[in-house]
Amino acid sequence: MTSPLTSSRHPVADPGEAIEYCFAQGWTDGLPVVPPTLDRVEAMLAAAQLDPACEIAHIVHRDVSVTAEKVAINAVLAGCLPAYMPVVVAAVEAIGDPRWSYHGPGTSTAGAGVLIVVNGPAARELDVNAGDNLFGPGWRANLTIGRAVRLVMRNVCGSMPGFLDRGTLGHPGKLSYVIAENEAESPWTPLHVERGLQADQSAVTVMAAEAPHQFYNQLSRTAVGVLTTLADDMRISGNVMGQTQYLLVLAGEHMRTIAADGWDKARIREFVFAHTQNSHAHLKRTERMAGAILPGDETRMRPLVGSPDDILVVASGGRAGAFSAYVPGWGSARASQAVTVEIKEVRS
Amino acid sequence: MIELLDPTVQPNTTLAETLAYAPRPVSLTGKRVALIENTKFKSDRLLQRIGELLKADYGAAETRMWRKHNASVPAHEEIVTEIRASSDVMVAGIGD
Repeated sequence: MTSPLTSSRHPVADPGEAIEYCFAQGWTDGLPVVPPTLDRVEAMLAAAQLDPACEIAHIVHRDVSVTAEKVAINAVLAGCLPAYMPVVVAAVEAIGDPRWSYHGPGTSTAGAGVLIVVNGPAARELDVNAGDNLFGPGWRANLTIGRAVRLVMRNVCGSMPGFLDRGTLGHPGKLSYVIAENEAESPWTPLHVERGLQADQSAVTVMAAEAPHQFYNQLSRTAVGVLTTLADDMRISGNVMGQTQYLLVLAGEHMRTIAADGWDKARIREFVFAHTQNSHAHLKRTERMAGAILPGDETRMRPLVGSPDDILVVASGGRAGAFSAYVPGWGSARASQAVTVEIKEVRS
Repeated sequence: MIELLDPTVQPNTTLAETLAYAPRPVSLTGKRVALIENTKFKSDRLLQRIGELLKADYGAAETRMWRKHNASVPAHEEIVTEIRASSDVMVAGIGD
């Protein structure tokens, strides 16, 4: 038996007025929204076979229960197709996970976006972009799924920009920050399989993250060459002292160069971990680490991340162009960790 | 006419209306003060100084510092329990 929809109703004259009404209520991220009418919300819930009262996440720090009904309404606002609903639901479940630890990334001055990597059959069926213009624009799934999650954060969890969301700078990914892994062309184990799921399962991996940093290497024909450039670019990035997680996004040309040398993701992680360390002396000279430079500080090294496992790797991005990217996580891995959740077509 | 479903959970309630403060003591004289350090850079020094002022200027009996796991999570249950048992007032805050 299906629970009734309990959200209050707001009458408006027509769709044009509805769009302006949503702005006036403070329900939007600054872009126009699709009016959340009953038929659209019901179609969203039906696509995921969800009872409206089902609790998708409980944000402990704010004591907020996020129900399927509210997720569906915000997914409509964001412009999602009903078929995207299971992906949005999985991502909302992920940000409610204690390991993601909502309160920090949902409010911090450091301005985290919710980076969502989609893996498995759902990414292909829903046309979640894994290629050209990876971080946008151009693909409805990429731009609306992340937007729906952000609207849930704003409208349900209270992360209102300038109020509870106090990002000093924020970044464009805070509108929507969704990519897929290019599993069709990747020579490597997909991210969700590395994180414990099966290849034929679909999943989102959600990470609180800064904006992507693109790096160039148009010279190398070797894995060491490309990754040396990456490590040099990345060594001083993000919260250098925080030891966050990172996502490496290796696009077509670099992916093929690295794979041609027989390197797998584990070897990439080990290399980047080893080559992104900073001396205590450098960190002190550049006012990142407190205190006077002591004997031995020139050779005493601090890793950028806590362990190689804090470096997530995906093959994504266009086939042409000798560019890839790294994405620093928010804050520190102690404060928030990437979470992988299966996308379920039917939730039990 | 069309009807829109409300996407928010508390459309007519601001956070300020939902916050409730614990009763404040009339005086700090003789009170045991817990200082909750949030791990941010130099927060321990700031709180140490606040503790000294509370003793010198307001007559607090003693101060003791506790440390959260990190700045982005509430104080964990273990230290909350200890503070509840051993302190009269506490000072918590966040600083960058």
